[in-house]
Amino acid sequence: MGKIAVLTNDLQGDVVYLTPERTAVMADAQPHYIAFLDEMRRRGHTVYHLQLINLPDDPNANRRADGTLPLQRDTEGAAILPAFLGDGDVIVEKNKDSGFYETKMHELLQEAGVETVVVTGLQTQICVQTTAADAFFRGYNVWVPSECVVSDKPEDRDRSLSWLAGYCATVASSKEILETLDTKGELPRMVVKTLP
Amino acid sequence: MASSVTGLGEVVLDHGSGAKLSGELISFVVDTLGEVYIGEMEDSAMLSVPAGRIAMTTDSFVADPPFFGNGDIGKISVCGTVNDLAVVGARPLYLTLGMILETGLPLARVHQVCTSIRETALEAGVQIVCGDTKVVRKGEVDQIYLNTAGIGVFERAPLRMRDVRPGDRVILSGPIGNHTVHLLSIREGLGFEQRVLSDCAPLNGLMDLLLTTVGEGAVHSVRDVTRGGLAAVLHEYARASGHAVRFEKNRLPVQFETVMATDMLGINAIHAANEGCLCLFVDPAAEQDVLAVLRSHKYGAEATTIGEVTADADPLVLMRDADGRDSVVEELQGAELPRLC
Repeated sequence: MGKIAVLTNDLQGDVVYLTPERTAVMADAQPHYIAFLDEMRRRGHTVYHLQLINLPDDPNANRRADGTLPLQRDTEGAAILPAFLGDGDVIVEKNKDSGFYETKMHELLQEAGVETVVVTGLQTQICVQTTAADAFFRGYNVWVPSECVVSDKPEDRDRSLSWLAGYCATVASSKEILETLDTKGELPRMVVKTLP
Repeated sequence: MASSVTGLGEVVLDHGSGAKLSGELISFVVDTLGEVYIGEMEDSAMLSVPAGRIAMTTDSFVADPPFFGNGDIGKISVCGTVNDLAVVGARPLYLTLGMILETGLPLARVHQVCTSIRETALEAGVQIVCGDTKVVRKGEVDQIYLNTAGIGVFERAPLRMRDVRPGDRVILSGPIGNHTVHLLSIREGLGFEQRVLSDCAPLNGLMDLLLTTVGEGAVHSVRDVTRGGLAAVLHEYARASGHAVRFEKNRLPVQFETVMATDMLGINAIHAANEGCLCLFVDPAAEQDVLAVLRSHKYGAEATTIGEVTADADPLVLMRDADGRDSVVEELQGAELPRLC
């Protein structure tokens, strides 16, 4: 039975505090999210924080309204928020939406013997979805805890969770995930459904 | 890229000055093109063309990104030009090649593009007869833009939109949406790029096989489904024929991973650009023969009938769902914007 890893996406000040509505949504989710990460660590599962870093010469990087580039390497806004960090966590730099796109993520997970990834973070509808899809295409068993993914708008989050459940992931509450781990010792692999 | 080209340096503004460095750049391009370049470095190409009618086309190529998983802007430029000639029933012969290069572009990338052009031209059986290079300042183009003109000859009757009539079957030679999803995935890092590849391909061989095998009159008109997607083609034909064109949603050939991506991004595959897909308007009596020939070729293996030109004299595009209900497909004003952060 392969190991399990938790992946977080974009838990960085420049992302989390981008807008007042996102700040508020994250403030609501944060206590539960942090508790889930702690429970997963307590059960021996490694947390990998995908850190989005914009490259200055990337013409497709999202810039602020004033033209400046957020999420630049070694800036405060690009750092993983300390509240989410724990002992043994690994930080992996990514430069695009998917945590596997031209990163070391797949190599690290393979070296660690990981077969199941629990994908969390923000925003649900792009970084979480693409990381989950990319993981699925690479053969990982993908789970998504529904309260540990964040979107500015609830309808975006809900639509994305439906998409994930329909194509490539098991979507469950964090409580269900922990109970499944404790009773079965694993997270069963999803049977892929094809939506009409 | 081969190690012999990685130490070549980069394009500088003086490569476009018309002086010695320009000559070196041109020689570099010509040497890389190899046997597909038949120009004599005069100011114009002097060519022999068979007597009769010729077809001519032109196109400019701006790709974002210009280099992708299974191709680059060079491959797109040859395929796009060749396919535009082939779909009107002409045999592509000659292409021109204009290059606008950004200062700072590694010459290894120029080599890569020219190699793609050479390999694709060889597959398509066409020759590059003349060209031009210009260099602009950093930021004035995205690495490299290309322009081509293409000439082909007619060895059979041309295929024309005006010959499409009610009852004609609408056939696609392959899946739709893959090129857009592939490029978007690389541009944004979406994770689909290894599962969904660009369909970019020269289709003149497929067209020649088809028209030779099924004979005159079976295929009324063909379009290369590119910018604007299938929907743009169907709107064009609905207007030209004066009749509604109906297709069935469930018959659209869309790769599963492309379905995933377009669903995620909130875009519709019928509006997505392609670079190796034909939309054919076919006499209904020839439908099965056409499908059989297309499917016998590597670029037509997934050919399928998706609909027909109706007798309804209202030039709409209609989509029929699984329950048999028709809805009007509106023509987009501009590009469909994907749902991205």
